[in-house]
Amino acid sequence: MLSITNATKSFAGVFEPVLRDINISLREGEFCTVIGANGSGKSTLLKIISGEHRLDSGEICRNGDVSQVVQDVNKGTIPTMTMLENIAMSRMKTPRFSFYKRHRNEIIDKISSLNIGLERFIDQPLSVLSGGQRQTIATLMAMNSGRKILLLDEHTSALDPKMQRLLMEYTAKSVRELGLTTIMITHNMEDAIKYGNRLIMMHRGRIVTDLNGHEKSELKVQSLLEMFHKFEDQNLLHNGGGNVR
Amino acid sequence: MSVDLVLNGLQQGLILAVIAYGIMIPFRFLDFADLTADGAYPLGGTICAVCMSAGLYPATAIPISMVGAGIMGICTAVIYLKFRINSMLAGVILSTMAYSVNLRIMGKPNIALFDCGGFFNANIVANMLIITVLLASCIIPFAVFLRTDFGLRFRAVGLNPGLAKLQGISIKKYTILGLFIAGCMFGLAGSLIVQLQNYMDVGIGVGILIHGLASLMIGEAIIGNATLNRQLAAPLLGALVYQQVQGIALSLGLAPSDLKFFTGGIVLLVIALKRKEGKAL
Repeated sequence: MLSITNATKSFAGVFEPVLRDINISLREGEFCTVIGANGSGKSTLLKIISGEHRLDSGEICRNGDVSQVVQDVNKGTIPTMTMLENIAMSRMKTPRFSFYKRHRNEIIDKISSLNIGLERFIDQPLSVLSGGQRQTIATLMAMNSGRKILLLDEHTSALDPKMQRLLMEYTAKSVRELGLTTIMITHNMEDAIKYGNRLIMMHRGRIVTDLNGHEKSELKVQSLLEMFHKFEDQNLLHNGGGNVR
Repeated sequence: MSVDLVLNGLQQGLILAVIAYGIMIPFRFLDFADLTADGAYPLGGTICAVCMSAGLYPATAIPISMVGAGIMGICTAVIYLKFRINSMLAGVILSTMAYSVNLRIMGKPNIALFDCGGFFNANIVANMLIITVLLASCIIPFAVFLRTDFGLRFRAVGLNPGLAKLQGISIKKYTILGLFIAGCMFGLAGSLIVQLQNYMDVGIGVGILIHGLASLMIGEAIIGNATLNRQLAAPLLGALVYQQVQGIALSLGLAPSDLKFFTGGIVLLVIALKRKEGKAL
């Protein structure tokens, strides 16, 4: 469904390549979590997959359209549009010259299935909702877009713990039901282990750990943290901390 | 202030509303500061005047003028998109060029149309009815369009271009479409004013942008633009109020030569009030 081969990406004025020799192949319906320190190349990887950035070298092959949920909810929704308009817009792969309100009942059913009472705001601008509620709508928009590849860039990181849990459970359930091929960036080690069937750790633009199946399911948070700190300590010894820019 | 002055103000206000809609469409729906009004409005008038003096029926001259000015809107969009020139600069360049184009089309700086007939006569109420019908025939379909799948995508382009791109919406296509519609509105206004005055002068467009902008801002200051219906009503209401305010100012003794200063003052006042309320322009 998605394959990246020997991908390399640099930015002007940055000493080291942001991505180096990245090789990933995801089957249809595979859910991959990506962890790594700030500046390790995680977000650039997602931007390469979404087509926002181009590769310097290497190949990328996507067998389906890409939808995305980003950390900043203002980028992922239109706050001045109503909830109905936002969701209706996201589901128009083939727009028609007919009224978007024809989707109203169907959209209300989708929102009701979240069981958090958001359907009463269907005709309100999204700006009246809290950040967590808006991010839930942004995720619902991505799930309902009809696209087969889903990219999640720390989409729960700005939310309170309860909302994080709710949104992660909704995300995992929808991804499973819809069979979406998913890449999720997170800094939450627990989520990285709990959700998905594959885990990738990135360090200074490279994939340093790639676990799936049995290896991933038996992984403990403590051992993942140790692995994470081992690479970061090496980084400190190598260049005194942070990225060389 | 006489009844005639009020009626004249309403008549002029309806034509100004057409311009205000042309300014609103790119400005509010595409987040595109389009300054082509100063060029597209006289271009519409020029095409209409030349068509009518060539013997074309006035009703035929109007759509031709609209398409001509609409093409100017497309040119602005293409310059902005292809050459990555700032939207305002693209509009100014095109408006400057349009002045020469208008002179070239007319062959002289002005054309009198007193013998060519036209839609309008001395009955102001009948004239207002005609302008209202023409305005409604443009705005009602546009309002319907905004409520379709395509209209929703059109609005998304201006409100969040990044998200629009992620949703697979072509920013280029919708920008070109929006500026074409805006150009058509300027063309309609130009051809209406020429038929109303029975006269076309190459300088009619000077400062028209600021009048249209003042109308839009007054309308938005009165009813706001929180909903689609309010946004769509604002240019009409603003233009009618603005023309009446001008009429009152003139009847109180303001010299016509001071009108542009007066208009600029109104725009500044509305901006200052909006800033005070914490709203953006």
